[in-house]
Amino acid sequence: MSAEQGKRQLQKEATRERILRTAAAVYSERGFATPTNVITQEAGISHGSLFVHFSTREDLQISVLERFAQEVCDELHDLSVNNGSVEEMLRAHIGVLKNYELFYRNLVSETALLPRETRTLLVSVQSAMSHHFGTAVEQGQRNGTVKDLPLHMLFNIWIGLLHYYLQNGDLFAPGSSVLEQCGDELANSFSKLISK
Amino acid sequence: MKTCIACGMPMKDASEHAMNDPKKDYCIYCARPDGSMQSFDEKLESMADFIVRTQGFDRKAALRAAEDMMKKLPAWEGCF
Ligand SMILES: [Zn+2]
Repeated sequence: MSAEQGKRQLQKEATRERILRTAAAVYSERGFATPTNVITQEAGISHGSLFVHFSTREDLQISVLERFAQEVCDELHDLSVNNGSVEEMLRAHIGVLKNYELFYRNLVSETALLPRETRTLLVSVQSAMSHHFGTAVEQGQRNGTVKDLPLHMLFNIWIGLLHYYLQNGDLFAPGSSVLEQCGDELANSFSKLISK
Repeated sequence: MKTCIACGMPMKDASEHAMNDPKKDYCIYCARPDGSMQSFDEKLESMADFIVRTQGFDRKAALRAAEDMMKKLPAWEGCF
C-alpha cells in the first residue's frame, strides 16, 4: 500500500468511527428511528458518504448495536466477581448499564420495531448477564441463602423491574439518571425479596 | 481479551479456556468432557438449554435465538 493509499484508508476508518459514535449518541437521545440525515448532520459529513460505509440504515443500526453488545458483554464479564453475592452482582449489572443508560432504555423500548438481528443482539446481552446472575443465584441456593425459585423466574423478575424503572425514568428520576437515583434501592430490595 | 470462537464468551482467565489451556480458542462451556470442542448440534442444543434455563424462553424460540447467535461466531462459519 502506498503512503497515499494508507492515508486514505485511515481517513476512511476515522469517518466510519465518527459515524458509529455519532449514531450511538443520536440513538441514545432520540431513539433508533431517527432519520440518517440527522446522524450525518451531527457527524458533519454528507448524507451520501454514510452509505459508503453502511449500505442501509439497518446496517448502521446493527453495527452500532453489535459494538454496544460486545462492550457490555466484556464489561459484565470483567466485573463478574467470583463468589460474589447476588446483590453485588446486581450492583455490577447496574454499574455497567449506567454507562449506556439512555441507549439501553431506547433499545429495550424499541426492540420490537428493529430488525430481527438486533433482537438477537439484545438476547445475547441478556444471556451474558443471565450467566453471571445464574452463577450468583445458584451459589446462594446451594448454601441456603437464596429462595428455591426457578432461575429464569428470578432473572425475568429482575429484568422486568429494571426495565420498568428505565422505561419510566421520567417519573422515577426526572431530569437525571434513574439507575443513579434508584439503582441501589432496586438491587437491595430485589436481593432481600429473594433471600431466605 | 480473547473470546470463545464457539459461543462468544470473553475469556480473561486460563480457567475459562477449555482444559485450562489458554491456547484453546474455545471455552469450558463449549468443551466436551474429554476437552474437545462440541459439535454444531451439541452447541445448538446446549445454548438453547441455557437460554431456556436462565431466561425461560419457549424451546423453539430459544433454538432460533441460539442459531442466530451462532451465525455470528467463527467456529460455525461453514455451518449455515
Ligand atoms: Zn464457549
